[in-house]
Amino acid sequence: MISRTAAFILVVISLLGAMPVGAQTRLGGSIRANPPSGPVPRLPDGKPDMSGVWLGGLPVGDISTALPKGESMPIRPEWKKKMDGFQANDDPQAHCLPLPPPRFTPYPWRMVVTSTHTFFLYEMYDYRQVFMDGRKHPIGDDLDPTWKGHSIGRWEGDTLVIDTVGYNDKTWFDNKGWPHSDKMHLTERYTRTDLGTMKVEMTIDDPVAYTRPFTVTGAARLMPKEELVEYICNENNQDAPYLQGAKP
Amino acid sequence: MKNWALIVAAVAAAVAWMQPAVAHHSFAAQYDATKHVELKGVVTKVEWTNPHARFYIDEKNDKGDVTSWNFEMASPNVLLRNGWKRTSLKIGDMVTVTGFVARVGPPAGPKMAIAESLTAADGTKMFASSATDLSR
Repeated sequence: MISRTAAFILVVISLLGAMPVGAQTRLGGSIRANPPSGPVPRLPDGKPDMSGVWLGGLPVGDISTALPKGESMPIRPEWKKKMDGFQANDDPQAHCLPLPPPRFTPYPWRMVVTSTHTFFLYEMYDYRQVFMDGRKHPIGDDLDPTWKGHSIGRWEGDTLVIDTVGYNDKTWFDNKGWPHSDKMHLTERYTRTDLGTMKVEMTIDDPVAYTRPFTVTGAARLMPKEELVEYICNENNQDAPYLQGAKP
Repeated sequence: MKNWALIVAAVAAAVAWMQPAVAHHSFAAQYDATKHVELKGVVTKVEWTNPHARFYIDEKNDKGDVTSWNFEMASPNVLLRNGWKRTSLKIGDMVTVTGFVARVGPPAGPKMAIAESLTAADGTKMFASSATDLSR
């Protein structure tokens, strides 16, 4: 009975962790409505149609809740120490800096897949471009460390696979502040499993900060009547100077 | 079954409490959950801006002393999705607001706080911020 209780509590926690708190509030969309159901829409070439406005993906608060059951983040001790020293004011989000995957926000995003590029438009508050033309990552001095890295994409069956390297080490995975080094290699897998659901799977391979690769999974839901709203983060950011203390 | 409901409620409350604010910054890092205020005042300025919309009010006490406040709300995208229009709150409106005062604010100028609830003079309740803005 105790283990069943514990399992139930874990399910509740993971559900809460995966969605914005405050179910009666609309953060990114109609979070109380059921996602639309139906078959995966397809393009004339037979590929899944990934377009639309999506909400969610991975937990906003702590991506470790999206690890397989029983796993914990294989972070190296010195990096855990670094993370434990983060202050609230260190969060890139507090300074309107980019929040690329695996970080997600409570707000919607749109995916646009073309034959040459895939574009992600994130309401909060940036874009990403993924090269779909078969090119490779730059190497050596040609690979500049950037906030969003260098992304190349391909189809594996019905799954869009995106491979990214060339990060700087300034972004966090979530509000909790799981860190990474500039040697991170991120593999994202997006699979539209039905009309209203986009399965999201991300494998993080960062041998500097973590002892082994690990995979987090979640899902985004289609927001059929939603459009992205402009979010110019830096226009009136009065908060940053007054954030005090350690990360919660 | 009652026990299950209690467990669920307790866990939900605990998680809501533990959950860091997901909207732009952490509540606990900026606001003091022990400094709750309820006050009435006249709107002097509305900033329909990111990362947070803000309104400013002048609160007058019984002696006629005026205190100016700068209240943070959710961001415009969230306000719009919760029924707001840019013009929903106007300069000169009398409002009642509850919220929490900033731990540290600007040394001069209006006192900084976050709005938890906002009620217009005619009693209409307006959405001010989400549980995620206010988690603590």
